[in-house]
Amino acid sequence: MPDELLSRSFTIHGRDFERAGEASTEIKSLLKELEIDPAVIRRTVVIAFEAEMNVVMYADEGTVTFVLTDEDIGVEIADRGPGIPDLDLALQEGWSTATDEMREMGFGFGMGLPNIRRNSDEFSVKSRVGEGTVVSSRISLDGAP
Amino acid sequence: MTEYAHGFRMDDEACDGCLACMRSCPTHAIRVKHDKASVQAELCIDCGSCLKACTRGAIIATTRTLEEFAHFAFKVAVPSPVLFGQFPLEVRPETVARGLLAAGFDAVWDYGIDLGLGARAIAEYAARWQGARPLVNMTCPVIVRLIQVSYPRMAEQLLQMEPPREIAGREIKRRYAQELGLPPEQIAAIYVSPCQARTISIAQPAEGGTSSLDGTVGIPQVYNAVLAEARLVNESGGQSLEPTVARSRPMLRWATPRALPAVLRDYRYISVTGLPNVTRVFDDVERGKLKDIDFIECYACWAGCGNGNLTVDNVYVCQAKLQTLMAGLPASDPVTDAEVERRYPDVEFLLERPFAPRVRTNAGDLRERVRRVKEAETVLHSLPGYDCGLCGAPTCATLARDVAAGEAAATDCVLLSRQRLQELRRTHPHTP
Repeated sequence: MPDELLSRSFTIHGRDFERAGEASTEIKSLLKELEIDPAVIRRTVVIAFEAEMNVVMYADEGTVTFVLTDEDIGVEIADRGPGIPDLDLALQEGWSTATDEMREMGFGFGMGLPNIRRNSDEFSVKSRVGEGTVVSSRISLDGAP
Repeated sequence: MTEYAHGFRMDDEACDGCLACMRSCPTHAIRVKHDKASVQAELCIDCGSCLKACTRGAIIATTRTLEEFAHFAFKVAVPSPVLFGQFPLEVRPETVARGLLAAGFDAVWDYGIDLGLGARAIAEYAARWQGARPLVNMTCPVIVRLIQVSYPRMAEQLLQMEPPREIAGREIKRRYAQELGLPPEQIAAIYVSPCQARTISIAQPAEGGTSSLDGTVGIPQVYNAVLAEARLVNESGGQSLEPTVARSRPMLRWATPRALPAVLRDYRYISVTGLPNVTRVFDDVERGKLKDIDFIECYACWAGCGNGNLTVDNVYVCQAKLQTLMAGLPASDPVTDAEVERRYPDVEFLLERPFAPRVRTNAGDLRERVRRVKEAETVLHSLPGYDCGLCGAPTCATLARDVAAGEAAATDCVLLSRQRLQELRRTHPHTP
Protein backbone atom coordinates (compact mmCIF):
# COMPACT_ATOMS: atom_id res chain seq x y z
CA MET A 1 0.00 0.00 0.00
CA PRO A 2 1.42 3.41 -0.91
CA ASP A 3 1.65 5.99 1.89
CA GLU A 4 -1.33 8.20 2.53
CA LEU A 5 -0.26 11.80 1.92
CA LEU A 6 -3.46 13.67 2.58
CA SER A 7 -7.05 12.84 3.44
CA ARG A 8 -10.27 14.72 3.93
CA SER A 9 -13.74 13.74 5.10
CA PHE A 10 -17.02 15.48 4.40
CA THR A 11 -20.45 14.85 5.86
CA ILE A 12 -23.32 14.96 3.37
CA HIS A 13 -26.89 15.52 4.51
CA GLY A 14 -29.71 13.79 2.68
CA ARG A 15 -32.26 16.06 0.95
CA ASP A 16 -30.05 19.14 1.52
CA PHE A 17 -30.09 20.36 -2.08
CA GLU A 18 -29.01 23.82 -0.99
CA ARG A 19 -25.53 22.62 -0.03
CA ALA A 20 -25.28 19.75 -2.48
CA GLY A 21 -22.00 19.82 -4.38
CA GLU A 22 -19.99 21.56 -1.66
CA ALA A 23 -17.81 18.54 -0.91
CA SER A 24 -16.88 17.98 -4.54
CA THR A 25 -16.18 21.70 -4.98
CA GLU A 26 -13.80 21.55 -2.01
CA ILE A 27 -12.11 18.46 -3.36
CA LYS A 28 -11.73 20.25 -6.68
CA SER A 29 -10.03 23.31 -5.21
CA LEU A 30 -7.77 21.10 -3.14
CA LEU A 31 -6.69 19.11 -6.20
CA LYS A 32 -6.17 22.32 -8.14
CA GLU A 33 -4.00 23.67 -5.33
CA LEU A 34 -1.99 20.44 -5.44
CA GLU A 35 -1.56 20.91 -9.20
CA ILE A 36 -2.85 17.47 -10.00
CA ASP A 37 -3.19 16.71 -13.72
CA PRO A 38 -6.40 18.41 -15.00
CA ALA A 39 -7.71 15.18 -16.54
CA VAL A 40 -7.38 13.40 -13.17
CA ILE A 41 -9.12 16.33 -11.44
CA ARG A 42 -11.97 16.18 -13.92
CA ARG A 43 -12.55 12.46 -13.30
CA THR A 44 -12.23 12.74 -9.52
CA VAL A 45 -14.68 15.62 -9.36
CA VAL A 46 -17.23 13.80 -11.52
CA ILE A 47 -17.01 10.81 -9.18
CA ALA A 48 -17.27 12.89 -6.01
CA PHE A 49 -20.13 14.96 -7.38
CA GLU A 50 -22.24 12.05 -8.61
CA ALA A 51 -21.70 10.19 -5.36
CA GLU A 52 -22.56 13.26 -3.33
CA MET A 53 -25.77 13.74 -5.32
CA ASN A 54 -26.75 10.12 -4.76
CA VAL A 55 -26.49 10.67 -1.02
CA VAL A 56 -28.40 13.95 -1.18
CA MET A 57 -31.18 12.44 -3.30
CA TYR A 58 -31.71 9.09 -1.63
CA ALA A 59 -29.95 8.70 1.71
CA ASP A 60 -30.31 10.17 5.19
CA GLU A 61 -26.67 10.96 5.72
CA GLY A 62 -23.33 10.02 4.25
CA THR A 63 -19.60 10.59 4.37
CA VAL A 64 -17.27 11.31 1.46
CA THR A 65 -13.69 10.38 2.21
CA PHE A 66 -10.91 11.53 -0.06
CA VAL A 67 -7.43 10.01 0.20
CA LEU A 68 -4.35 11.00 -1.80
CA THR A 69 -1.29 8.76 -2.07
CA ASP A 70 1.84 8.95 -4.23
CA GLU A 71 0.09 6.84 -6.83
CA ASP A 72 -3.61 7.45 -6.73
CA ILE A 73 -6.70 9.14 -5.38
CA GLY A 74 -9.30 7.17 -3.48
CA VAL A 75 -12.86 8.39 -3.06
CA GLU A 76 -15.19 6.47 -0.77
CA ILE A 77 -18.81 7.37 -0.16
CA ALA A 78 -20.61 5.56 2.63
CA ASP A 79 -24.20 6.36 3.44
CA ARG A 80 -26.96 5.44 5.84
CA GLY A 81 -30.04 5.00 3.69
CA PRO A 82 -32.37 2.71 1.79
CA GLY A 83 -29.65 0.74 -0.01
CA ILE A 84 -29.84 -0.50 -3.60
CA PRO A 85 -31.95 -3.66 -4.06
CA ASP A 86 -30.66 -4.55 -7.54
CA LEU A 87 -27.09 -3.38 -8.16
CA ASP A 88 -26.90 -4.67 -11.73
CA LEU A 89 -29.92 -2.59 -12.63
CA ALA A 90 -28.57 0.49 -10.83
CA LEU A 91 -25.35 0.23 -12.85
CA GLN A 92 -27.23 0.35 -16.16
CA GLU A 93 -27.09 3.70 -17.88
CA GLY A 94 -30.46 5.40 -17.79
CA TRP A 95 -31.90 3.33 -14.96
CA SER A 96 -33.24 5.64 -12.29
CA THR A 97 -35.70 5.71 -9.44
CA ALA A 98 -35.61 9.50 -9.23
CA THR A 99 -38.79 11.42 -8.55
CA ASP A 100 -40.13 14.08 -10.92
CA GLU A 101 -38.95 16.71 -8.47
CA MET A 102 -35.35 15.48 -8.69
CA ARG A 103 -35.55 15.39 -12.46
CA GLU A 104 -36.84 18.93 -12.55
CA MET A 105 -33.69 19.94 -10.70
CA GLY A 106 -31.64 18.34 -13.46
CA PHE A 107 -30.73 15.11 -11.67
CA GLY A 108 -31.86 11.53 -11.70
CA PHE A 109 -31.19 10.55 -15.29
CA GLY A 110 -29.70 7.23 -14.30
CA MET A 111 -26.13 8.27 -15.02
CA GLY A 112 -24.85 8.50 -11.43
CA LEU A 113 -23.31 5.11 -10.73
CA PRO A 114 -22.45 4.39 -14.39
CA ASN A 115 -20.63 7.73 -14.51
CA ILE A 116 -18.68 6.92 -11.37
CA ARG A 117 -17.70 3.52 -12.76
CA ARG A 118 -16.68 4.96 -16.13
CA ASN A 119 -14.38 7.51 -14.51
CA SER A 120 -12.76 5.11 -12.04
CA ASP A 121 -9.70 2.94 -12.55
CA GLU A 122 -11.04 0.69 -9.81
CA PHE A 123 -14.63 0.65 -8.69
CA SER A 124 -16.73 -1.28 -6.21
CA VAL A 125 -20.17 -0.87 -4.72
CA LYS A 126 -21.65 -2.70 -1.76
CA SER A 127 -25.17 -2.22 -0.55
CA ARG A 128 -27.55 -3.56 2.04
CA VAL A 129 -31.23 -2.83 1.65
CA GLY A 130 -32.52 -0.78 4.57
CA GLU A 131 -29.01 -0.02 5.83
CA GLY A 132 -26.94 1.81 3.27
CA THR A 133 -24.45 1.82 0.42
CA VAL A 134 -20.65 2.09 0.13
CA VAL A 135 -19.17 3.17 -3.19
CA SER A 136 -15.37 2.97 -3.51
CA SER A 137 -13.43 4.38 -6.37
CA ARG A 138 -9.74 4.72 -7.20
CA ILE A 139 -8.21 7.00 -9.80
CA SER A 140 -4.60 6.48 -10.79
CA LEU A 141 -2.49 9.67 -10.83
CA ASP A 142 -0.51 8.77 -13.93
CA GLY A 143 -3.71 8.62 -15.97
CA ALA A 144 -3.27 4.98 -16.99
CA PRO A 145 -5.94 2.67 -15.52
CA MET B 1 11.93 27.18 -17.88
CA THR B 2 9.76 29.62 -19.75
CA GLU B 3 10.27 33.27 -18.98
CA TYR B 4 6.98 35.07 -19.40
CA ALA B 5 7.11 38.42 -21.11
CA HIS B 6 4.57 40.98 -20.05
CA GLY B 7 3.41 44.18 -21.64
CA PHE B 8 4.22 46.54 -18.81
CA ARG B 9 6.94 47.39 -16.37
CA MET B 10 6.78 48.57 -12.78
CA ASP B 11 8.71 51.69 -11.86
CA ASP B 12 10.07 51.31 -8.32
CA GLU B 13 10.78 55.04 -8.09
CA ALA B 14 7.16 56.00 -8.69
CA CYS B 15 5.61 53.11 -6.70
CA ASP B 16 4.70 54.06 -3.16
CA GLY B 17 3.30 50.68 -2.18
CA CYS B 18 -0.35 51.76 -2.05
CA LEU B 19 -1.67 48.19 -2.74
CA ALA B 20 -4.19 49.30 -5.42
CA CYS B 21 -2.62 47.15 -8.16
CA MET B 22 -2.37 44.14 -5.85
CA ARG B 23 -6.05 44.40 -4.96
CA SER B 24 -7.07 44.73 -8.61
CA CYS B 25 -5.23 41.64 -9.83
CA PRO B 26 -7.65 38.80 -10.68
CA THR B 27 -5.02 36.05 -10.45
CA HIS B 28 -3.33 37.31 -7.25
CA ALA B 29 -0.08 37.75 -9.13
CA ILE B 30 1.06 40.94 -7.37
CA ARG B 31 2.80 41.29 -4.02
CA VAL B 32 3.93 44.47 -2.34
CA LYS B 33 7.17 43.97 -0.40
CA HIS B 34 9.07 46.80 1.22
CA ASP B 35 6.53 49.19 -0.29
CA LYS B 36 7.26 48.21 -3.88
CA ALA B 37 4.93 46.19 -6.07
CA SER B 38 6.21 43.23 -8.02
CA VAL B 39 4.51 40.70 -10.25
CA GLN B 40 4.82 36.92 -10.32
CA ALA B 41 5.23 36.46 -14.03
CA GLU B 42 3.84 32.93 -14.10
CA LEU B 43 0.50 34.10 -12.75
CA CYS B 44 0.11 37.29 -14.80
CA ILE B 45 -2.46 37.04 -17.58
CA ASP B 46 -1.87 40.50 -19.06
CA CYS B 47 -5.37 41.76 -18.36
CA GLY B 48 -4.15 45.30 -17.67
CA SER B 49 -6.20 45.67 -14.44
CA CYS B 50 -3.12 46.89 -12.54
CA LEU B 51 -2.36 49.52 -15.20
CA LYS B 52 -5.81 50.97 -14.70
CA ALA B 53 -5.66 50.68 -10.90
CA CYS B 54 -2.32 52.46 -10.48
CA THR B 55 -2.81 56.16 -9.82
CA ARG B 56 0.90 56.86 -9.30
CA GLY B 57 1.98 56.24 -12.87
CA ALA B 58 4.21 53.44 -11.60
CA ILE B 59 2.95 50.76 -13.99
CA ILE B 60 3.83 51.62 -17.53
CA ALA B 61 2.64 49.87 -20.66
CA THR B 62 5.52 48.97 -22.95
CA THR B 63 4.19 50.00 -26.34
CA ARG B 64 6.07 50.35 -29.58
CA THR B 65 6.04 53.26 -31.95
CA LEU B 66 5.85 52.96 -35.69
CA GLU B 67 9.42 54.31 -35.91
CA GLU B 68 10.64 51.15 -34.24
CA PHE B 69 9.55 49.25 -37.34
CA ALA B 70 11.55 51.57 -39.63
CA HIS B 71 14.09 48.89 -40.52
CA PHE B 72 11.44 46.93 -42.46
CA ALA B 73 11.28 47.65 -46.19
CA PHE B 74 7.49 47.42 -46.31
CA LYS B 75 5.06 47.92 -43.43
CA VAL B 76 1.51 46.60 -43.60
CA ALA B 77 -1.16 47.63 -41.09
CA VAL B 78 -3.68 45.03 -39.92
CA PRO B 79 -6.38 47.25 -38.41
CA SER B 80 -8.39 45.86 -35.51
CA PRO B 81 -12.09 46.36 -36.37
CA VAL B 82 -12.32 48.42 -33.16
CA LEU B 83 -10.22 51.12 -34.85
CA PHE B 84 -13.10 52.06 -37.16
CA GLY B 85 -15.34 52.93 -34.21
CA GLN B 86 -12.86 55.35 -32.64
CA PHE B 87 -13.43 58.44 -34.78
CA PRO B 88 -16.25 60.90 -35.40
CA LEU B 89 -19.00 59.36 -37.53
CA GLU B 90 -18.09 61.26 -40.69
CA VAL B 91 -14.68 59.57 -40.70
CA ARG B 92 -15.44 56.61 -42.92
CA PRO B 93 -13.39 53.38 -42.79
CA GLU B 94 -11.74 54.25 -46.11
CA THR B 95 -10.57 57.55 -44.60
CA VAL B 96 -9.20 55.66 -41.62
CA ALA B 97 -7.24 53.49 -44.04
CA ARG B 98 -5.79 56.60 -45.72
CA GLY B 99 -4.90 57.94 -42.29
CA LEU B 100 -2.89 54.77 -41.60
CA LEU B 101 -0.93 55.37 -44.79
CA ALA B 102 -0.33 58.94 -43.72
CA ALA B 103 0.88 57.66 -40.36
CA GLY B 104 3.66 55.78 -42.14
CA PHE B 105 2.31 52.42 -43.21
CA ASP B 106 2.93 51.30 -46.81
CA ALA B 107 -0.31 49.34 -47.09
CA VAL B 108 -3.50 48.66 -45.15
CA TRP B 109 -4.61 45.06 -45.10
CA ASP B 110 -8.18 44.10 -46.01
CA TYR B 111 -8.59 42.24 -42.71
CA GLY B 112 -12.25 41.37 -43.32
CA ILE B 113 -11.15 38.42 -45.44
CA ASP B 114 -9.09 36.83 -42.67
CA LEU B 115 -11.93 37.43 -40.21
CA GLY B 116 -14.28 35.76 -42.67
CA LEU B 117 -11.90 32.82 -42.95
CA GLY B 118 -11.67 32.62 -39.15
CA ALA B 119 -15.45 32.69 -38.75
CA ARG B 120 -15.88 29.86 -41.21
CA ALA B 121 -13.16 27.79 -39.55
CA ILE B 122 -14.70 28.33 -36.11
CA ALA B 123 -18.07 27.11 -37.39
CA GLU B 124 -16.41 24.01 -38.83
CA TYR B 125 -14.43 23.38 -35.64
CA ALA B 126 -17.56 23.66 -33.48
CA ALA B 127 -19.50 21.32 -35.77
CA ARG B 128 -16.79 18.65 -35.53
CA TRP B 129 -16.10 19.00 -31.82
CA GLN B 130 -16.79 15.83 -29.83
CA GLY B 131 -15.20 16.79 -26.51
CA ALA B 132 -16.29 18.70 -23.42
CA ARG B 133 -18.55 21.71 -23.81
CA PRO B 134 -18.94 24.65 -23.80
CA LEU B 135 -16.25 25.66 -26.26
CA VAL B 136 -14.52 28.99 -25.62
CA ASN B 137 -13.24 31.48 -28.21
CA MET B 138 -9.47 32.03 -28.40
CA THR B 139 -9.60 35.56 -29.80
CA CYS B 140 -9.03 37.39 -26.49
CA PRO B 141 -5.48 36.66 -25.29
CA VAL B 142 -6.39 37.42 -21.68
CA ILE B 143 -9.12 34.76 -21.68
CA VAL B 144 -6.68 32.20 -23.09
CA ARG B 145 -4.17 33.04 -20.34
CA LEU B 146 -6.87 33.09 -17.65
CA ILE B 147 -7.77 29.53 -18.58
CA GLN B 148 -4.12 28.45 -18.66
CA VAL B 149 -3.48 29.86 -15.20
CA SER B 150 -6.76 29.54 -13.28
CA TYR B 151 -8.94 27.03 -15.17
CA PRO B 152 -6.47 24.41 -16.42
CA ARG B 153 -9.24 21.83 -16.79
CA MET B 154 -10.87 24.01 -19.44
CA ALA B 155 -7.78 24.30 -21.66
CA GLU B 156 -9.06 21.70 -24.13
CA GLN B 157 -12.32 23.66 -24.43
CA LEU B 158 -10.50 26.60 -25.98
CA LEU B 159 -10.70 26.61 -29.75
CA GLN B 160 -7.26 25.24 -30.62
CA MET B 161 -6.95 27.66 -33.49
CA GLU B 162 -4.80 30.51 -34.73
CA PRO B 163 -6.62 33.82 -34.29
CA PRO B 164 -7.52 35.59 -37.57
CA ARG B 165 -4.72 38.16 -37.06
CA GLU B 166 -2.18 35.33 -37.40
CA ILE B 167 -3.84 34.14 -40.61
CA ALA B 168 -3.52 37.72 -41.88
CA GLY B 169 0.17 37.92 -40.94
CA ARG B 170 1.03 34.80 -42.91
CA GLU B 171 -0.85 35.89 -46.00
CA ILE B 172 0.70 39.38 -45.87
CA LYS B 173 4.22 37.95 -45.91
CA ARG B 174 3.38 35.53 -48.68
CA ARG B 175 1.59 37.98 -50.91
CA TYR B 176 3.87 41.00 -50.62
CA ALA B 177 7.01 38.88 -50.86
CA GLN B 178 5.66 37.67 -54.19
CA GLU B 179 4.36 41.02 -55.44
CA LEU B 180 7.32 43.13 -54.40
CA GLY B 181 10.05 40.55 -54.78
CA LEU B 182 11.21 41.17 -51.22
CA PRO B 183 12.32 38.55 -48.69
CA PRO B 184 9.45 37.92 -46.24
CA GLU B 185 11.55 39.06 -43.27
CA GLN B 186 11.70 42.58 -44.76
CA ILE B 187 7.92 42.83 -44.74
CA ALA B 188 6.34 43.86 -41.45
CA ALA B 189 2.79 42.81 -40.58
CA ILE B 190 1.77 45.16 -37.77
CA TYR B 191 -1.47 44.83 -35.85
CA VAL B 192 -3.14 48.12 -34.88
CA SER B 193 -4.32 47.02 -31.48
CA PRO B 194 -6.99 48.08 -28.99
CA CYS B 195 -5.11 46.44 -26.09
CA GLN B 196 -1.79 45.60 -24.52
CA ALA B 197 -2.68 41.92 -24.37
CA ARG B 198 -2.55 41.58 -28.17
CA THR B 199 1.00 42.91 -28.04
CA ILE B 200 1.99 40.12 -25.68
CA SER B 201 0.13 37.47 -27.61
CA ILE B 202 2.26 38.42 -30.62
CA ALA B 203 5.52 38.72 -28.67
CA GLN B 204 4.84 35.45 -26.87
CA PRO B 205 1.89 33.39 -28.15
CA ALA B 206 0.11 31.50 -25.36
CA GLU B 207 0.62 28.09 -26.95
CA GLY B 208 4.38 28.66 -27.14
CA GLY B 209 4.69 29.04 -30.92
CA THR B 210 5.85 32.05 -32.89
CA SER B 211 3.61 34.76 -34.28
CA SER B 212 3.43 35.54 -37.97
CA LEU B 213 3.03 39.20 -37.05
CA ASP B 214 5.96 41.48 -36.29
CA GLY B 215 4.35 43.52 -33.55
CA THR B 216 1.61 45.96 -32.68
CA VAL B 217 1.06 49.64 -32.39
CA GLY B 218 -1.69 50.92 -30.12
CA ILE B 219 -4.64 52.86 -31.50
CA PRO B 220 -3.42 56.08 -29.76
CA GLN B 221 -0.26 55.93 -31.90
CA VAL B 222 -2.18 56.36 -35.14
CA TYR B 223 -5.16 58.33 -33.86
CA ASN B 224 -3.92 61.84 -34.62
CA ALA B 225 -2.64 60.94 -38.08
CA VAL B 226 -6.08 59.57 -38.98
CA LEU B 227 -7.86 62.66 -37.67
CA ALA B 228 -5.49 64.94 -39.61
CA GLU B 229 -6.12 62.96 -42.78
CA ALA B 230 -9.87 63.18 -42.20
CA ARG B 231 -9.58 66.95 -42.01
CA LEU B 232 -7.74 67.01 -45.34
CA VAL B 233 -10.37 64.79 -46.97
CA ASN B 234 -13.06 67.06 -45.58
CA GLU B 235 -11.38 70.25 -46.85
CA SER B 236 -10.99 68.82 -50.31
CA GLY B 237 -14.77 68.56 -50.46
CA GLY B 238 -15.22 65.13 -48.92
CA GLN B 239 -14.20 63.16 -51.99
CA SER B 240 -15.69 59.70 -52.00
CA LEU B 241 -13.13 56.96 -51.77
CA GLU B 242 -13.36 53.41 -53.01
CA PRO B 243 -14.01 51.21 -49.94
CA THR B 244 -10.92 49.08 -49.36
CA VAL B 245 -11.40 47.91 -45.80
CA ALA B 246 -14.45 47.23 -43.62
CA ARG B 247 -16.58 46.47 -46.65
CA SER B 248 -19.36 44.55 -44.91
CA ARG B 249 -21.19 44.23 -41.63
CA PRO B 250 -19.57 40.95 -40.52
CA MET B 251 -16.13 42.57 -40.46
CA LEU B 252 -17.20 45.26 -38.00
CA ARG B 253 -19.17 42.80 -35.92
CA TRP B 254 -15.77 41.54 -34.69
CA ALA B 255 -15.41 44.82 -32.82
CA THR B 256 -18.40 43.87 -30.69
CA PRO B 257 -18.55 41.15 -28.01
CA ARG B 258 -21.04 39.23 -30.14
CA ALA B 259 -19.02 38.45 -33.26
CA LEU B 260 -19.94 34.79 -33.46
CA PRO B 261 -23.72 34.23 -33.12
CA ALA B 262 -24.06 34.86 -36.85
CA VAL B 263 -21.82 31.87 -37.64
CA LEU B 264 -23.00 29.68 -34.75
CA ARG B 265 -26.73 29.93 -35.37
CA ASP B 266 -27.72 26.45 -34.19
CA TYR B 267 -25.68 26.54 -31.02
CA ARG B 268 -26.68 27.35 -27.49
CA TYR B 269 -24.49 30.39 -27.15
CA ILE B 270 -23.71 33.02 -24.52
CA SER B 271 -21.59 36.16 -24.67
CA VAL B 272 -19.76 37.25 -21.51
CA THR B 273 -17.59 40.33 -20.98
CA GLY B 274 -15.56 41.68 -18.09
CA LEU B 275 -13.12 39.49 -16.13
CA PRO B 276 -15.24 39.21 -12.94
CA ASN B 277 -18.19 38.01 -15.02
CA VAL B 278 -16.04 35.62 -17.02
CA THR B 279 -14.60 34.06 -13.85
CA ARG B 280 -18.12 33.63 -12.45
CA VAL B 281 -19.19 31.83 -15.61
CA PHE B 282 -16.02 29.70 -15.72
CA ASP B 283 -16.59 28.72 -12.07
CA ASP B 284 -20.03 27.49 -13.13
CA VAL B 285 -18.51 25.59 -16.05
CA GLU B 286 -16.14 23.83 -13.66
CA ARG B 287 -19.04 22.99 -11.36
CA GLY B 288 -20.75 21.37 -14.31
CA LYS B 289 -23.60 23.87 -14.23
CA LEU B 290 -23.39 24.97 -17.87
CA LYS B 291 -23.76 21.64 -19.59
CA ASP B 292 -26.56 23.07 -21.70
CA ILE B 293 -24.33 25.72 -23.27
CA ASP B 294 -22.33 24.88 -26.40
CA PHE B 295 -20.29 28.01 -26.84
CA ILE B 296 -19.08 30.94 -24.74
CA GLU B 297 -17.76 33.99 -26.51
CA CYS B 298 -15.92 35.97 -23.88
CA TYR B 299 -13.69 38.98 -23.56
CA ALA B 300 -11.72 40.23 -20.58
CA CYS B 301 -12.75 43.86 -21.06
CA TRP B 302 -16.22 45.06 -20.11
CA ALA B 303 -18.33 45.35 -23.27
CA GLY B 304 -15.54 43.80 -25.34
CA CYS B 305 -12.47 44.97 -27.23
CA GLY B 306 -13.85 48.50 -27.67
CA ASN B 307 -12.93 48.94 -24.01
CA GLY B 308 -9.33 47.80 -24.44
CA ASN B 309 -6.61 49.77 -22.66
CA LEU B 310 -5.24 51.13 -25.97
CA THR B 311 -8.49 52.66 -27.21
CA VAL B 312 -9.24 56.37 -27.32
CA ASP B 313 -13.01 56.71 -27.36
CA ASN B 314 -15.53 55.67 -24.71
CA VAL B 315 -16.63 52.08 -25.34
CA TYR B 316 -20.34 52.89 -25.45
CA VAL B 317 -19.84 55.72 -27.93
CA CYS B 318 -17.60 53.42 -29.96
CA GLN B 319 -20.32 50.76 -30.03
CA ALA B 320 -22.99 53.23 -31.10
CA LYS B 321 -20.79 54.41 -33.95
CA LEU B 322 -20.06 50.87 -35.03
CA GLN B 323 -23.80 50.12 -35.08
CA THR B 324 -24.40 53.13 -37.32
CA LEU B 325 -21.48 52.16 -39.58
CA MET B 326 -22.75 48.59 -39.82
CA ALA B 327 -26.27 49.73 -40.66
CA GLY B 328 -24.83 51.51 -43.69
CA LEU B 329 -22.86 48.50 -44.93
CA PRO B 330 -24.08 45.49 -46.89
CA ALA B 331 -24.70 42.18 -45.05
CA SER B 332 -22.05 40.57 -47.21
CA ASP B 333 -19.48 41.64 -49.73
CA PRO B 334 -18.87 39.66 -52.95
CA VAL B 335 -15.12 40.43 -53.09
CA THR B 336 -14.62 39.26 -49.50
CA ASP B 337 -16.77 36.17 -50.01
CA ALA B 338 -14.88 35.20 -53.17
CA GLU B 339 -11.52 35.59 -51.44
CA VAL B 340 -12.69 33.55 -48.44
CA GLU B 341 -13.88 30.84 -50.82
CA ARG B 342 -10.59 30.84 -52.72
CA ARG B 343 -8.23 30.88 -49.72
CA TYR B 344 -10.15 28.66 -47.29
CA PRO B 345 -8.89 25.25 -48.54
CA ASP B 346 -5.23 26.30 -48.27
CA VAL B 347 -5.24 27.88 -44.82
CA GLU B 348 -4.01 25.93 -41.79
CA PHE B 349 -6.17 27.10 -38.89
CA LEU B 350 -5.26 24.59 -36.19
CA LEU B 351 -2.50 25.44 -33.73
CA GLU B 352 0.69 23.48 -34.20
CA ARG B 353 0.70 22.76 -30.49
CA PRO B 354 -2.45 23.13 -28.40
CA PHE B 355 -3.04 25.54 -25.54
CA ALA B 356 -1.82 23.78 -22.41
CA PRO B 357 -2.23 24.76 -18.76
CA ARG B 358 0.62 26.91 -17.47
CA VAL B 359 2.75 24.87 -15.11
CA ARG B 360 4.27 26.59 -12.10
CA THR B 361 7.97 25.93 -12.09
CA ASN B 362 8.67 26.26 -8.37
CA ALA B 363 5.81 24.09 -7.11
CA GLY B 364 7.93 21.04 -6.26
CA ASP B 365 6.95 17.37 -6.49
CA LEU B 366 3.67 15.93 -5.21
CA ARG B 367 4.97 15.39 -1.66
CA GLU B 368 6.30 18.96 -1.51
CA ARG B 369 2.98 20.28 -2.82
CA VAL B 370 1.09 18.30 -0.18
CA ARG B 371 3.44 19.63 2.49
CA ARG B 372 2.78 23.19 1.31
CA VAL B 373 -0.98 22.73 1.24
CA LYS B 374 -0.94 21.36 4.78
CA GLU B 375 1.36 24.10 6.07
CA ALA B 376 -0.71 26.78 4.33
CA GLU B 377 -3.82 25.45 6.09
CA THR B 378 -2.12 25.66 9.47
CA VAL B 379 -0.84 29.18 8.77
CA LEU B 380 -4.24 30.29 7.51
CA HIS B 381 -5.83 29.26 10.82
CA SER B 382 -3.51 31.66 12.64
CA LEU B 383 -4.36 34.59 10.35
CA PRO B 384 -7.28 36.95 11.01
CA GLY B 385 -9.12 36.38 7.73
CA TYR B 386 -9.80 40.07 7.07
CA ASP B 387 -7.97 40.02 3.72
CA CYS B 388 -6.78 43.56 4.45
CA GLY B 389 -3.71 43.19 2.24
CA LEU B 390 -1.41 45.15 4.57
CA CYS B 391 1.00 42.21 4.69
CA GLY B 392 1.63 42.74 0.98
CA ALA B 393 -0.39 39.75 -0.22
CA PRO B 394 -3.95 40.22 -1.49
CA THR B 395 -5.66 37.75 0.86
CA CYS B 396 -4.87 35.83 4.03
CA ALA B 397 -4.98 32.64 1.96
CA THR B 398 -2.35 33.93 -0.46
CA LEU B 399 -0.11 34.98 2.43
CA ALA B 400 -0.50 31.49 3.91
CA ARG B 401 0.49 29.97 0.57
CA ASP B 402 3.48 32.29 0.26
CA VAL B 403 4.60 31.33 3.77
CA ALA B 404 4.34 27.63 2.90
CA ALA B 405 6.40 28.27 -0.22
CA GLY B 406 9.05 30.06 1.84
CA GLU B 407 8.40 33.39 0.17
CA ALA B 408 6.89 35.26 3.11
CA ALA B 409 6.53 35.07 6.88
CA ALA B 410 3.33 34.88 8.90
CA THR B 411 4.67 37.87 10.83
CA ASP B 412 4.14 40.01 7.72
CA CYS B 413 0.59 40.18 9.07
CA VAL B 414 0.02 43.47 10.89
CA LEU B 415 -2.17 41.77 13.46
CA LEU B 416 0.51 39.22 14.27
CA SER B 417 3.44 41.56 14.28
CA ARG B 418 3.83 45.02 15.74
CA GLN B 419 7.02 45.41 13.78
CA ARG B 420 5.23 45.18 10.46
CA LEU B 421 2.77 47.85 11.55
CA GLN B 422 5.61 50.14 12.54
CA GLU B 423 7.31 49.53 9.22
CA LEU B 424 4.11 50.57 7.42
CA ARG B 425 3.79 53.64 9.62
CA ARG B 426 7.31 54.74 8.74
CA THR B 427 6.73 54.62 5.03
CA HIS B 428 3.28 56.14 5.11
CA PRO B 429 3.62 59.88 5.60
CA HIS B 430 0.00 60.54 6.55
CA THR B 431 -0.23 57.98 9.33
CA PRO B 432 -0.48 59.75 12.71
